[in-house]
Amino acid sequence: MSELAHDEQWQRLDARMLLVHPIREVLRFLPFVIGLLFAGTATGNGDLPWQLLGVGVPVTLGVLRYVTTSFRIAEGRIELRRGLLNRHLLSTPLDRVRTVDLTSSAIHRVLGLATVRVGTASASQEDRLDLDALQVGRARRLREELLHVAPSADDPTDDQIGDSTDDRDVVTPDRAEVVLALDPAWVRFAPLTSSGLVIAAGVLGATSQLMNTLGLWDRIGTGEIVRGTSGLSWWTVVPVGIVALVVLVSLLSVGGYLVANWGFALRHVGGAWHLTRGLLTTRETSLDDERVAGVSVCEPLGLRAAGGGRVAAIVTGLDRRQQGSAVLVPPAPREVVLRVARDVLGSAGPVDAPLTGHGPRARRRRFTRALAPAAAVLLAALLLVTVAGAPTWLVPVAALGLPVGLLLAIDRTRGLGHALVDGHLVSRSGSLDRHRHALDTGHVIGWTFRSTWPQRRAGLTTLAATTAGGKQKVSVLDVPADEATRLAADAVPGLVEQFTVCLADRTPATRGSRRR
Amino acid sequence: MEGAALREPAQRVSPRARLMWLLGAVVQGAWLLVLVALGGWLWHWFPLPWWVFAALAAVVAAYVVVMPTWRYRTHRWEVTDTAVYTQTGWWSRERRIAPMSRIQTVDHAEGAVARLFGLASVTVTTASSAGALEISGLDRDRARRLVDELTLKADAVAGDAT
Repeated sequence: MSELAHDEQWQRLDARMLLVHPIREVLRFLPFVIGLLFAGTATGNGDLPWQLLGVGVPVTLGVLRYVTTSFRIAEGRIELRRGLLNRHLLSTPLDRVRTVDLTSSAIHRVLGLATVRVGTASASQEDRLDLDALQVGRARRLREELLHVAPSADDPTDDQIGDSTDDRDVVTPDRAEVVLALDPAWVRFAPLTSSGLVIAAGVLGATSQLMNTLGLWDRIGTGEIVRGTSGLSWWTVVPVGIVALVVLVSLLSVGGYLVANWGFALRHVGGAWHLTRGLLTTRETSLDDERVAGVSVCEPLGLRAAGGGRVAAIVTGLDRRQQGSAVLVPPAPREVVLRVARDVLGSAGPVDAPLTGHGPRARRRRFTRALAPAAAVLLAALLLVTVAGAPTWLVPVAALGLPVGLLLAIDRTRGLGHALVDGHLVSRSGSLDRHRHALDTGHVIGWTFRSTWPQRRAGLTTLAATTAGGKQKVSVLDVPADEATRLAADAVPGLVEQFTVCLADRTPATRGSRRR
Repeated sequence: MEGAALREPAQRVSPRARLMWLLGAVVQGAWLLVLVALGGWLWHWFPLPWWVFAALAAVVAAYVVVMPTWRYRTHRWEVTDTAVYTQTGWWSRERRIAPMSRIQTVDHAEGAVARLFGLASVTVTTASSAGALEISGLDRDRARRLVDELTLKADAVAGDAT
């Protein structure tokens, strides 16, 4: 009997979930216990019964949640019933299932459990179908069957489903060919990404809060530190402080990278891409081939300077909040990034092909847009110094903006480009945050031609191909207007042509090819 | 396809839309002027020389006079057997094209002000949240016929529109 047939009756989640909530609450209680041992006197003994109540209530809620939650898979639908006072029934046709995620927190892993998150085309957060949690093997079998059913839902009693009752017959991702496995040496890229900095800031915040709770700040005695260093000059304190901060942030972002990406592996099997990652909380994501509309190769300035990059998939049926689960390559060396991008697209062209530049008018626009704000800041500084009597060092500091703007404009111009290769619309732009998007033209579901008044005067337009995945569109920035029309017509034949007029009727001033 | 340029969509919205936009602009402009006058002269929040007020009033008047006609000229739409095409905006002009086969929903909406003028708007969405096409200021009956037409045409094409 197949897993799906077996699930036709309403049934509960795994009974071990009854342990998860108590353990989680005890762990949350742990800092307080440690504080008690540490400080001896504690932050207030009278709080203890209240703290115990704080543990008891969530545990009771956990039991209630377990008793009131049940799910079934019947008549081609997956249904989840939950809630004590407000009863909810979530129901989704199996053929709407786009992605299936397995997530296991550290506690889940100890107990051998996994949360199954069923992703549908609906973008609503409330319609999320989470089965928290099932036994890992059962969760994997469920995923196999949900994804096998999804592409052809016409006949749920198909042979391929009937076979998979036996564990040995299930094609688990573990047996597939590994396209990418994490090399620990890649952590050197961690401090160069903005996400690394965010993780570091988060850890610093949490640590300071914890120290606050335990009353450690008072024990360290910030006042003594200030008094102890007051003999030193600013010229010593500031650089030492900066170096210490850089080292600390680097260490934290390396730690964050390892926690998030430990055991990162990308495999392809059974018509889907399977992603596994995580040190404490493990995540397994499956992306159906049909749903992978393209890839984005991201090279933020820091990563690019160090010869690295990362890759995200443009996946239909994953909304913005789930973008994290579409990371195909975490920050890694450039050659690895490009190899995986080629593998996922199934062709090298969209990744390697030279791009068509956007011409002199787009270049001029890059320079005016980068230099004008810098010049305005300089002008404001000059005015402040001459008229309002501000300190004179303001002027050279403000003047620094000009060379920075110049370099930015040069790099942005160099990055700008587009192409139509092997059935993919390719577009690249940006300097601080450079992206090269490659979108399968079969997933283009509309076009937007956007041009501001200055853009129209320069004969430029920003062409966007809308799609149901990723950031919902892939933009080709500041492309000459006639080239934009041509590109859209070539990418999706028979759509844009009906709205065009022959350019020969117009003034020759608007013509001209801008290939470089 | 070499040497072709995108043209404007063929259809304009209802001429009455100009009246609706005019009313909206008058109400907004009057609010702004009254608030500035009250704040400057009655409550003394900020010094208000008469010429600043006059300049502001002139800008508001120009907007009220020019905007409805300008918007009427730029807001255009067109529906063929295979696609929907709209154009909006005058500073930042946006032309959107959606193939009939990718249409997911067709919305018909009549706001309180629009109903005063017998107008309605039609919004066409695709599976991308970046690609909604809105045609506002359509004659109510025209809008209803358009919704029926779009629904029929979109249904005639197979696929789940992603």
